[in-house]
Amino acid sequence: MGGLRHFIEQSWLLIVSSFVFGLLLAATNYALAPTIEQNRIDKLNTLAKGLLPDAIHFREVTERIEIASSRGKNSEVSVYQGEADGGKCVGWSFAVSGSGFADKIDLVVAVDADFEKLAGYDVLMSNETPGFGDKIKDHFYRDQFKGAPIGELKVLTSGNAAKIDSEIIAISGATISSEAVVAILNDTLTRIKEQMEKKGLIGDDK
Amino acid sequence: MTNEVEAKAGVYRDTLLAGLWRENPVFRLLLGMCPTLAVTAAVKPALTMGCCVIFVLVCSNVIISLMRNLLKPHLRILMFTLTIATFVTIADLVLRAFMPDMSEVLGPYVPLIIVNCIIICRAEACASKNGVVVSVIDAVGMGVGFTGTLCVLASIRELLATGKIFEVAVMPDAYVPWAAMGMPVGAFVTLGLMLGLVNLTSKGRA
Amino acid sequence: MLRDISVSFSPHISHPLSTRSVMVDVVISLAPAMAAAGYYFRLRALILVATCVIASVATEFICNTIRKKACSLGDFSAVVTGIILALSLPPRLPVWTAVIGSVFAIAIGKMVFGGLGSNIFNPAMVGRTFLAVSFGALMTTWATPATLDAKMPKIAPENMIHARTQATPLAWSKMAINNELGADIYAEQNFKWTVTGEVGGCLGETSVIALVIGAVYLLMRRTVAFHIPLAVVLSAFVFGTIAYWIDSYSYVQPFYHLTSGGLLLCAFFIAADPVTAPLTRRGMWIFGIGVGALTMLIRIVGGYPEGVMFSVLIMNAVTPLIDRLCKRVPAGGKPNV
Repeated sequence: MGGLRHFIEQSWLLIVSSFVFGLLLAATNYALAPTIEQNRIDKLNTLAKGLLPDAIHFREVTERIEIASSRGKNSEVSVYQGEADGGKCVGWSFAVSGSGFADKIDLVVAVDADFEKLAGYDVLMSNETPGFGDKIKDHFYRDQFKGAPIGELKVLTSGNAAKIDSEIIAISGATISSEAVVAILNDTLTRIKEQMEKKGLIGDDK
Repeated sequence: MTNEVEAKAGVYRDTLLAGLWRENPVFRLLLGMCPTLAVTAAVKPALTMGCCVIFVLVCSNVIISLMRNLLKPHLRILMFTLTIATFVTIADLVLRAFMPDMSEVLGPYVPLIIVNCIIICRAEACASKNGVVVSVIDAVGMGVGFTGTLCVLASIRELLATGKIFEVAVMPDAYVPWAAMGMPVGAFVTLGLMLGLVNLTSKGRA
Repeated sequence: MLRDISVSFSPHISHPLSTRSVMVDVVISLAPAMAAAGYYFRLRALILVATCVIASVATEFICNTIRKKACSLGDFSAVVTGIILALSLPPRLPVWTAVIGSVFAIAIGKMVFGGLGSNIFNPAMVGRTFLAVSFGALMTTWATPATLDAKMPKIAPENMIHARTQATPLAWSKMAINNELGADIYAEQNFKWTVTGEVGGCLGETSVIALVIGAVYLLMRRTVAFHIPLAVVLSAFVFGTIAYWIDSYSYVQPFYHLTSGGLLLCAFFIAADPVTAPLTRRGMWIFGIGVGALTMLIRIVGGYPEGVMFSVLIMNAVTPLIDRLCKRVPAGGKPNV
């Protein structure tokens, strides 16, 4: 008996305030969670819109698309269908990630309606070295992917960057960051394409 | 009676000035080094960080000052941490909801305010021993002092690393940015030189 | 009368060796490298060396004035830092960049620690690293030697910039590693050039002949102990051989690694800096092997084509540890670690 009483005497403040603070956090989270989720989708869509200029609206695909994630498990990817005026599909966009030189790189990738060519990518979040690796955000590098065929992309350190093909010219001094972007695309694109074909989202009938 | 009021005003003024300069958290107490080094690459994130710290510092000082007579000595650090963690989480959620871009730039450093020594130092050294008014003044003084030094460091680094201050270009076009100043090395060098300078100006005093 | 008689503790043997005489020896031994730089890169070399020396000396003077210390310009160490920094810069580097590098080298690399003897890192390499990190593009724009340029066909002025820049031999070797084109193609073409110095690169590192002449002078004067340079060169050679032995198709010959890039400049003039290297012989061997091994690791596996700058700084950082581990046992005493 004395033990319990001692326990309550010593820690009632801690217990009470844990409840109060927990309540406070729950309320804040309840109030702000929709805004935070909306921010994420907005950013994704803004970037995707830059890649698919014809799309005026993005609709999330309900089918479950999975890719291999780092721990050998599969993780779900939200694929968005970019729709032009009148609901015509002009392309697809999705967020994928992989490891870069310094930290994780999150990319938004867009492809054309038939999933034949890349429409480009943009960087959602990265922490690459300023002045070198973070040039993966620059148009000079990103433009090489606009119109590149889906499939195995290769990184070279020299060549013609203006030519659009599966050969990507690395950023001078930042080969690892350049390769990281290409590796993310190589790892995910084909897999997503296969599943979308299986689910009937893309293919001959459309 | 008048003497009492004057004495009180003197205490308030002293408390405020202590945080701003005499016991400036960064230059004098050398506390909160992690955000000082990590988020001072540009003024905007530094200012946002400072504001978050002021918010957390004021809130935690008020709460702890209110419950100071109920605290059990051996559980007090637990209570401090609980209070601080609550307000840091709220600050993080608010930032993610209303300033998503800034929240991304600051990344893990907002949640890391929980382990920022300034806050727990003020809880222990001031709020748990003083009334609410003094605690709030102390929090504001310390918080503003912290924010001020962060902004000074950030303006030097942003100016040299990008040629801009608060994202406004101030250097002539011919200026070649010193990328190193935006990296951790810039933080260490700038902080070291500033500390030396502060010690130089107050040699023989303080 | 009494003032003329000085009383001091032992040892009483005096030796003409002083900081000043060591530094003057180093300057003399760097003269051939400077001459080679002047021959290959003409006015640019002269301007860069002069700029770095003047800026270094001026910075040291200003720092001494601010800290109210006795003037330390007489020991010539600032001159040596300036020359070594200049010789490790690419020829086309703008003058203002060289000034920033020199100021950083002396102020942050040396004076902040308390002047010569207290610095942890080699000042010239601190300055160069700051430049390499800050101005990546400028620091990797190489120029064709003027002598080679003269042999080239005349080119239209609008193509001038492209035509007159040239990748360094190590950049070629890096390209070979990445593209699997076969490194020997490059190595055979350039081996002769890397020895004479008629090739792209930093001012002082291109000519092996000039560096070796300077090094022989230093070793004969016993200004520098042979341990560190020998350890650097040997370990780089061994690791280069291992890489070549594993895959001779994508890695260049080990000799090519020795003659190209800043390895020799580093081995004799930068790694052997007595302030930032270990004091005992065993420590010197460890230090030198570390520098050589890290250099080869960066060259072969890392992202940069050249690695001497980083490897010297890394080994500088562990020098206190090496000194501690290799402490000599006084006669009759126990090691006191």
